[in-house]
Formats: sequence, C-alpha cells, structure tokens
Amino acid sequence: MASPNSPATAAMNSPGSTSQAPVEKPSAPPVNILPSQLAQTYSYAHPVLLLALGASRFNALVENPVQELLKDLPWLALLQLFYVLLCLPPAGTTVSVSDGPSGNDTKSARSRKPGYRRKNSGKNDWAGIWAKLMPAFLSMSLTFLLATPIIAVLLVLFGAPLTTHNYETVLCAAHMALLSASALIYAHGVEASVWKEVWGIARPADAVWGSALGTGLGAWFGAIPIPLDWDRPWQAFPITILTGAYIGYALGSLLSRTSFIYGKRIQFAPEQEEEEEKTKTN
Amino acid sequence: MASRLPAGPTPPAGMNSTQAAKKKQNAAKEFKSLELEQEFKSKHLGVLGVLVWILLLHLAGIYFFTKGFLLTRMVLDNKSSCEILPFDSSNVANGNKDGKGCWHETSFDKAVVIIIDALRYDFTVPFVAEGESEEAHIFHDNIPILYETAVKSPANAFLLPFIADPPTTTLQRLKGLTTGTLPTFIDAGSNFAGTAIDEDNLVAQLHGAGKTLVQLGDDTWQSLFPGYFDENLTHPYDSFNVWDLHTVDNGVNEHLFPLLRKENPSKWDVIFGHYLGVDHAGHRYGPDHPAMAGKLQEMDKVIRDIIAALDDDTLLVVMGDHGMDTKGDHGGESDDEVEAALWMYSKRGIFGRTSQETLLPPKHARERPVPQIDLVPTLSLLLGMPIPFNNLGSPIEEAFAGPKGNDWSNLATVNHLTAAQIKRYQHEYATARGAGDDQESFDLWTAAEKEWKSASKGSSKSTSVRTAHDLYRKYQGHTLGVCRGLWARFDVLSMVQGVVLLFCGISLLVLYARGMKVDRTELTGNLLSSVAIGTGGGALAGASLALSGITEMGVVDLAGLLAAGGSMLGGLFALARKSAQLTVPLPTGMWGWLAFFFTVSQSIGFASNSYTIWEDEILLFFLTTFGVCAGISSMRQKSTTDRVLGVYHSVLFIILGRVASFSRLCREEQMPFCRSTYYASSTSSISAPWQLAIPFVVMLFLPSVVRSFYVGSKSYEDTATLWIGFAFRLGLLITSIFWMLEGADDGEWLPLRKETLKSLRVFLAQLVLAIAFAAGTAAFLYAKPCVSISVSKPQDDPNSPPAPFIAGQDQKPRTTVTILGFGNVYGTRFFFLVINFALAVILMSKPMGQGAIALLVWQILSLLEILDTNALTLSNSPIGPVVLGVLGSFYFFKTGHQATLSSIQWETAFIPLSTIKYPWSPLLVVLNTFGAQIIVALAVPLTVLWKRPLLTHDRVAASPSGTKPANPATKLLSDVVQAVCTHILYLATINLATTMWAGHLRRHLMLYRIFNPRFMMGAIVLGVVDVVLLLFAVSGVRFSTVSVGEIFGW
Repeated sequence: MASPNSPATAAMNSPGSTSQAPVEKPSAPPVNILPSQLAQTYSYAHPVLLLALGASRFNALVENPVQELLKDLPWLALLQLFYVLLCLPPAGTTVSVSDGPSGNDTKSARSRKPGYRRKNSGKNDWAGIWAKLMPAFLSMSLTFLLATPIIAVLLVLFGAPLTTHNYETVLCAAHMALLSASALIYAHGVEASVWKEVWGIARPADAVWGSALGTGLGAWFGAIPIPLDWDRPWQAFPITILTGAYIGYALGSLLSRTSFIYGKRIQFAPEQEEEEEKTKTN
Repeated sequence: MASRLPAGPTPPAGMNSTQAAKKKQNAAKEFKSLELEQEFKSKHLGVLGVLVWILLLHLAGIYFFTKGFLLTRMVLDNKSSCEILPFDSSNVANGNKDGKGCWHETSFDKAVVIIIDALRYDFTVPFVAEGESEEAHIFHDNIPILYETAVKSPANAFLLPFIADPPTTTLQRLKGLTTGTLPTFIDAGSNFAGTAIDEDNLVAQLHGAGKTLVQLGDDTWQSLFPGYFDENLTHPYDSFNVWDLHTVDNGVNEHLFPLLRKENPSKWDVIFGHYLGVDHAGHRYGPDHPAMAGKLQEMDKVIRDIIAALDDDTLLVVMGDHGMDTKGDHGGESDDEVEAALWMYSKRGIFGRTSQETLLPPKHARERPVPQIDLVPTLSLLLGMPIPFNNLGSPIEEAFAGPKGNDWSNLATVNHLTAAQIKRYQHEYATARGAGDDQESFDLWTAAEKEWKSASKGSSKSTSVRTAHDLYRKYQGHTLGVCRGLWARFDVLSMVQGVVLLFCGISLLVLYARGMKVDRTELTGNLLSSVAIGTGGGALAGASLALSGITEMGVVDLAGLLAAGGSMLGGLFALARKSAQLTVPLPTGMWGWLAFFFTVSQSIGFASNSYTIWEDEILLFFLTTFGVCAGISSMRQKSTTDRVLGVYHSVLFIILGRVASFSRLCREEQMPFCRSTYYASSTSSISAPWQLAIPFVVMLFLPSVVRSFYVGSKSYEDTATLWIGFAFRLGLLITSIFWMLEGADDGEWLPLRKETLKSLRVFLAQLVLAIAFAAGTAAFLYAKPCVSISVSKPQDDPNSPPAPFIAGQDQKPRTTVTILGFGNVYGTRFFFLVINFALAVILMSKPMGQGAIALLVWQILSLLEILDTNALTLSNSPIGPVVLGVLGSFYFFKTGHQATLSSIQWETAFIPLSTIKYPWSPLLVVLNTFGAQIIVALAVPLTVLWKRPLLTHDRVAASPSGTKPANPATKLLSDVVQAVCTHILYLATINLATTMWAGHLRRHLMLYRIFNPRFMMGAIVLGVVDVVLLLFAVSGVRFSTVSVGEIFGW
C-alpha cells in the first residue's frame, strides 16, 4: 500500500530530516469546514447528496456497471470539485496554520485559520482564486493519475480479477479515489508529513480524513456479500464494494465531525482505541 | 555487560595468564551453565507433556463427535450372479435354467422407468379435505392419471406412497433406488474419491445381462453409472440449472417417444427417463404456484402418451425420488420431503391386491408406505434379474400377488429369495466387520425356513406358505431396522459430548495461551500432575460407572470421556490455583483484535456454504488485509530502518500472496466463476509443459531468497552456507529433474522404457527425501549456530558493529572477538528445520504446487521480518501464529487442494515408492495434502525466535523489565509454547466451528458435499499440526537452543 507512494513522498521532502521532527508533535491539525453558512450547510448535504444520487443510479449500475460508472464519473468529479472548493480550505492555508503556535489548542487554531484565509483573499481576489484553483487542479490530476492506479492495484491485491473485469476495477478505483483522495489532496497538497500520517492511518479525525478512511473501510466491508450464493445481480464484482465505499464515505465524513470522534487518532498500541475504527463504519 | 569467555570450542584469547581464582570462577560458571541447561531440558520435556495432553484432548473430542456423526458403511464388492441362488445351491429352484429369468421367472422383458424428480405423493392422489377450513392447493389434482388407472384397473396399475431415506437429494436417492441400500456419510469402499457406484446394483446387473440401457434427462446418472448406458441413444442434460424448467423435460420427451414407436422396440431393453421440471418448479417457485400446476399437467400428458405407446411386454414405472417441503426445497428428512409416489403399470394386468382394504391407493402417504429400496428387489425379480447383493428392500406385494390377489406361493417365493439374499449379505457384512450375526434375526430366519420347508413338502400348503411369507417379511423388516439403527441415525448425544470436549479444550487453551502473565514452564509440573490425577480419576469413575451398568455407553468410551473431562478439571484447578498470575484473556491492541477477528470471522463463515466454497479467496482477502495493516503499522515505526524494512516486507508479503493466488484448483461448486490453473487443463491431472519450468525456477531462486534473509542479519555463515547454498539447492535440482522425467513419462518425450524411467524417478525422489530428512535432521541436530566468530587485533573496525565484545577484560592486548550473525542466532538456526521440510514438501508437490510452496517459504520469512520490525516478536502478540495459520490454510488451496475428498492427490504416494507400503504411503499423502500447514506449523516457534536478542543468565540485567528471569532459556521456551498454543488455538477454533456447523446442519442439502468434507479437513489438520508441533517444532527448539547455548553459554 505504502510503497507506490513512498517515492512520491520522498521526492516532496528532504528524506533524512523528516524521520525525527514529525514524531515530536502532530504535523497538521484536523481540517475544518470553512465557516461560511453555505459551506457549513453544504458540507452536511454533500455526503447525503452523493448517497441519494448513488441510490438513484443503483439499478442502472446493476444493469450495466461499466457504462454507468463511466457515465457517472465526470459528475462525481464535478460534485467533489464543487464540494472541496466550497467547503474546504485549500492546501496552502492549512500549512500556514500548522506553523502556528500550539498543537494542543486546536480550537483557537480553528477559529483563527479561516480568518487568515479571508484576509488574504480580501486583499487580492486573484490570489484567493489562484490559491483555490491550484490545489483543485492538483487534486483532480493526482486523483486520477496517482490515486486511481494505486487503488486499482490494491483492489487487485485484495483479490479483484486481474485478467478480466479490468474496466470495472479501474472505474471502481476511480470512484473510490474521487471519494477518498480528492479532498485529502485539496486540503493537504503533497505535504509529506501529512501523507506519512495518511499511510500510517494516523491522521486526527476530521471530515476529510474520516471520509477517506470511511471509503476504504466501507469498500472492505462491501466485499463481504460477494461470495454468497444468493444469485443476485448486484453481487457482481464492483457493485457491493462501491456501495460500501459510498456508504462508508458518508458515514465517515459525518461521524468524524461529531465531538466524540473529532480530532482523535486511531491507536495501534494496546490502548483499545481502535474501537473508534468500528464506530466510524457502523 | 559482563564479560565471559565462550564456553564452546573456540579457545579464548587470553587464557595464558593462568590464575587459580579465575579457574575456580570458571568452574563455578561452568557448573551454573550445566545446571541451567539441565533445567531447560527438563522443562522442555514438561512442555512436550502439556502438548501431548492437548493433542489427546483434541483426539478425544474429535473421536466422540465423529462416532456420532460420521456414520460409515462398508461397501462389499460381492455381486449377485444369475447362476448362484442366495440359498444353498444344492436346493436348486425351478424355472431358472430355462432362460426364463434368473432367480425368478421373468415377468417383463422390457421396462420404461420414469423418474419425475420431487413427485410428492399428495400431488398424485385426489385432494381430501381433512378439516372444514382446508382447501385444495394449486398443486393438487393436476396429475390424475396415476390414481385413475390404479382405481379403474387394479390389475394394470397400482399407486403407493414411496418413502425416501434421507438425505433426500437426487444423487443419494438414485444410489438407494438402484442398490437397495441405505445412505451413509462414507460408503467406505474401494472407490473412495469418485462418485461412481461400485456396489452391486440394478443398472450393473441389467448391463451385465447384456441389456441395452438408455438414460434420458438428469445427468447425475452418468456420474453414478459411467459407461453402462448405450451411447447413441442416451441423452443426459445438465441438472444444476434450477431456473430452467423445460430444457431437460423437453429433451427427454424428444428422445423418449421415438424409442417407444412400433418400429424401434428392439433397439432398447430398459429406458431410464428422468424429468426435472417439477423439481425445478419447486425450487424456483415453490409447490403452490401455477408453474407447478402446469408442470404436473404436462407430466400427466406425458404419462398418458407413454401408456398409449406401450406394448404388452413392457413394464412402466413412474416414481418420485423424493418429495419437497412447503418451499419446494428438499434434502432433509421432513415428511413432505421423504414422501414420494410410486406407480407401476403394465398392459398385461398381472398386479393384484391381497385384501379389500388395499384395493384403493392410500389417501395419505402415512398409509401403507413402501420404502424406496423396495423397488430394487421388485424390479429385479420382475425383469428376471438377480437381486443386487447389498439390497435390504422387500418385494412389493402388489407386484407379485397375481391379478386375483391370492398367489401366496409366488409371494412366499419372492420373499424367500429376497430374505435369503439379505441373509447372505448380512452374513458377509458381519464377517467383514468381524461381528457375529444378530440373535433375533437368526431366530426369525430359522422359523421362516422351517415353515418354508414344510410348505414345499406339500402338507397344509396354503397356511404354511402364508406363514412362511409373513415370517420372511418379518425377517426383512427386522434386518432393515437393525441396519437403519446402525447406519442412518446420528448419535446426537455422542456428537454433543465431542463438541463439549472440544469447546472446553479451547477454553482452557485460551487461558493457557493468552491469559497467563508468567513463565508457562514454571507451571508445567503442577499442571501435569493435576491433569494426571484428573485423568486417572475420570477413567476410574467412567469404567466403574460403565461396569455398574448405569449407562449404555461402553467401558472404554465412558472411561475415555470422563478421563478427558477429569483431566480438564485438573488442568483448570492447576491454573486457577495460581489465579494471581492469570489475566482476562481478551485481545489487546490492534494486532490482538485482528488475530481474534481473523479466527472468529472465518469460523462464523463456515456456517455458510458460500464462504466454505470460496475459502481460498477469503483467505487471500485476510492475508492482504494483514499486509495492509502491517504496512500501516510499519509507517508508524519511529526508526527509519524499521519503517522502510517494514513497509518493504509488507508490500512483498501482499504481492507474494497475490501471485500465489494464481495457482488454483477449482471445486465443482466454484464453477463457472473459477478457472483451474493447477493442471494443464481442468479435465486433466498432469502438469502443462510450461509448468515443468517452475521447479527449475524454484531451484534457482528459493535458496537465494532464503540466503538474502540470512545475509540481512549477517547470519549467512558456517552451516548456513553449506546447507542453504549447497544441500538445499542440490535437493531442489534433483526434484526438478524428477519432475522433468515425470513430464517426459506423461508426454513420452524420451526413448526410455517406462520401467526404467520409473525406477530412476523413484531413486531420485528417495535421494531428495534422504537429503531432506536424513542428512537434514543430522544437520539440524548437530549444526552450530549460523555465526562466524573472528578474533582480531585491536584495530577499530567500524564495519562490524553487531556485537563486538571483549574477551578477558584485564588483558593487555585487548583482543576483540567479532561475532557475525549475532542478531539472529536463534532464528537462523531453527529455520533449518523449515528448510528441510520445505524440501520434502516441494518434492511431494506437483510443479505448480512447488512454486506455491516456494512463495510460502518466502512469505513466511517476510512475515517474520514484519513481526520483527513492528516489535511483535518479543511482545508475544497472537498475530504471528494466527497469520501463519491463515497462510497454512491459504497455501493448502494453492497446492492444488480443496476441502473435498476428490481433490486428494493419491498418486503422490508413488513419488518415492513403486508400491504401497505402510505406514509410508499414507504419510506421503499427508505430506502432499497438508504440506503447507506442516511448514507453517514448523515456522511457529520462529515468531518468537526470529531476531530474538541473545540472553544468558549473566546478561539479563540488560532486559527491560525489572523482574530478572533466573533462566532466560526457560523464558524463551515459555514464549515458544505461547506461540505454539496460539497457533493451535487458531486451528482448534476452526475445527470446533466446522464441527459444530456440520453437526448443526446435519440435514442440510449440502452436508455431504460441503460441510462434512470441511469438518473432516479441519479435524485432520488439527491432528496433523498438533503432532508436527509436538514432534518437530517444539522438539526442535530444544536442539537449536542447546546448540546456541553451547557457544554462548546459558
């Protein structure tokens, strides 16, 4: 999982120095939805909207998965783009905040961060738009060029057919990449320390990370009904996985913003905090 | 760090300054070492004792469950023949020499046997409301022809309820309908794996008598009776497409009616037509559906058409092989499922009823039911055939009573014949089993014989004949009852006993493996003595209880049961006495939960036939999940080396598993979603030519791969160079030559005689086994650890950091002893054992499997590195042993096996032998079948030994925990036992689950095909792995540890 990316991360930062520094303090605080009324509202509506759209296209998906997935892909990309542009702080701004004083007092950082951004955009509209467009472009290109192949390879490694069903696999990966990676890349860019946390599933819970993790876990659970001998057409390969991914996306993005989970990290060590992982997907 | 001189043969550098005090000190140290070594060895024996106890508990549990569950019946190869009558040959009966029938006069030369699959009895009789509210269902009154004819012309037709013996599946029913015997789990005969019936049966008898047999419809017949049917006239159809109601039926009609035409009578003698539409309509829609009504009406028309086309000498039989439940399914033993219908018809009018009450067909299936096996003697005698040897059925009265219903002499004759054949069979069966005849049967038989003799003498003929008839029927009924009790009834009590034993064993094992804070070896003494007391007490109690006659159980069984129970009480007592050292054995941390999740979710999954069928894919899914989690965990490691190595090996682990997954042997149920790659094609069992390259590739790469892992810790020294670099590679080379010759033999590429090739191959194979087991064992027992010790002058050498330590601290010229391979002393030394067995298993596997095993070895090494970089070796995490268990199961499938009897590669027994030799041949098949699980079991101690830091009693101060173990070697032993018990726990849980599901689903449609084989596999794997862990893995730890101790001290 980590390897296809590790050259990428290595290229982005100077290799030797990173091993020590990020261990000391968490690299980037959780990402917050922009404070505007519209952004706040839409951020809740977006996962629900995706689920509703997915549900409405479900029958068509069962009918002809490849055609339907291909047809939906641009729309999903547009929706995700709209979502990140409207609701999320673009990559550069998050970094400036992470340089701020305390990692502990995230609440104050949270309230301050949008202010920063506002001021910048207020001074120069072009700079503001550019600050958003550049990450958006990066987000879309990396989603398709990097995240999609990685997820496709992962799907195959988990047992998706290699010699057949290639379109299904790639399209499924593209959908999953749009769900999971586009927002992550938009909000974090190619910040090495963040991506190291991503590969270590060690990000603090927020809408962006929660939805990405939810997508992955949802897809994992989505594989469970495939072998059953119910002879239902929806048991065909990518359908249940994508359904799981969409549901996981919505649950992850909504649940990770609740005060119980927000800001927490999944622990591997015996502190039994991996229960979080389960609550997120339930 | 204390400095001490190596106790081994390397002469210490600074011994020349001899001081008496130093000598004394050395002597004391030597003594201490000896003491510690003795302690280790004795505790090691104790640990083996505990493992023996665990093994015995498993065996007891499996035994009790199997005794109640796996009902077996021996298949006798005897065949009835036309010339030999079942009773004394001196008493030659009349009418069998003139060509008019064998044992009995032939009534019909030809027959049309129509099977309407799932024709339930109540479909065929007019609906009679039992209560006011009851109304006719859609399925009633659609096929009136059977009832009509039986009522209108009783001499031409009769209709009876036809009761199936569960399981009510078509394959098992056809067996019963042709052999006349009862179904059991294992019909243990010569043909163990295939489905073809090798018992004496009606089809074989007809075929043997030179009749032309035609089969139309359901293709199950073809797998049961391959080669018996006329190839030109026979038309089988696929029976599995339940959604298709018409293809099979239309096909039967298309080919049946031309044969019945006037111009074609000489082309055939017996036609078996098998319609599936009714069954499929039931499966698809259920009985209460217009489609069922339509199908039944169609069948009604078919039968009318056949009647119209029938001639006088042909017998027409229409029957259902089973019924269907309210949902239209079948397989179980409910009334609706077992109640089929039987109807016989002939234009000649020879059927009769012996009394007025039996004139009409029964209104319900409960009245006057006929067991399905009764068809066998009836049809045999009507067609002038001998009764198949294993038959237990009785002749159907209506068929022999004569048109007036008073032909008692004929009835007595046929019953005499049948009873005599049953007696002959019973006698042979009892002899084969080594048991005596049943007393009650004997009495009934003698009484019947007496009446029969007096009847044949002529005095008071009619009454004697009737009495003889009744007594023979009684005898037949009694024998059938005895056999039913023997073969067809699950002993649920015994099954529950087995499950309880297995469950309690697992609970104790959980406590022992996961719930103890202290050194397990310290407990061994107490544990074993308590267990011994418990065993003895239980055995005594059981024996005395059984002898006093309070229970029906046998002495040995009850003693064994209570001994097992008592030993567990004793063990619990011993563990509970040290309750301060116990913790709640809940999984901790992500890894603990992951191990728990793998074990439990898989166990639950075995309740579903789908998850059992697709087990190989699910295991790949689990392994990849583990790899991903390992990668994630590795990303979190603080040290860069650990992170990079961990991620590298996680990725490697995942990719290797996925590559291995391309080796597949599909089971029937996986079709059409699976493509076999293990052999050249899905219908052959030889390797494709390109696959013969795999052994050479393995030979080239596998030793290098192993070497790279040794080099990583600078351990590729001393014995390792010889054993891995030379002997292992040589063994693999010979193996590849062997398989090349095998391929040459199959493809006839070489101008050599078969015998020459065979003896050459046998020699090569034995050579490899000699390298693996004879030389390999010697190497394992006597090799030194894989380290190289060099003594150098005091120039500082920064390139040799592993463990420079100083010999002789006060010496003027400070000589440095550099030890390479210090970081992985235990692991590399122990891994020899895995290599030895891997070589043997590779020899015993087909080329594709060899590649899989090589990948397995690689993946094991990769897993060990993952465990090391994630600090999981010293924390006794359960994940290592559990993932090894998953790997073992996964590669079982990747080496061309499935959880089915038919996938056992019996022919591998002949790889190093030319004839069957006990006990070697079965052991070789075990090595082939469970090779992956065996290799993995041997690797289990490595989960705590790999890169384990070397600790000796005077060096333990460096250990992080404050408590200082008196003897580090016993701590090592305790860790090994914990890992081994965790591995056993994984397999025992799987075994318990498959056992419970098989017991619970014992009437499931798929029991024979899916649940039962998986249960058997789980039980055998558990036993094999228990033995391997005991005899090789844990025993091997003794030798590798002692060997390390000899060099580095204790």
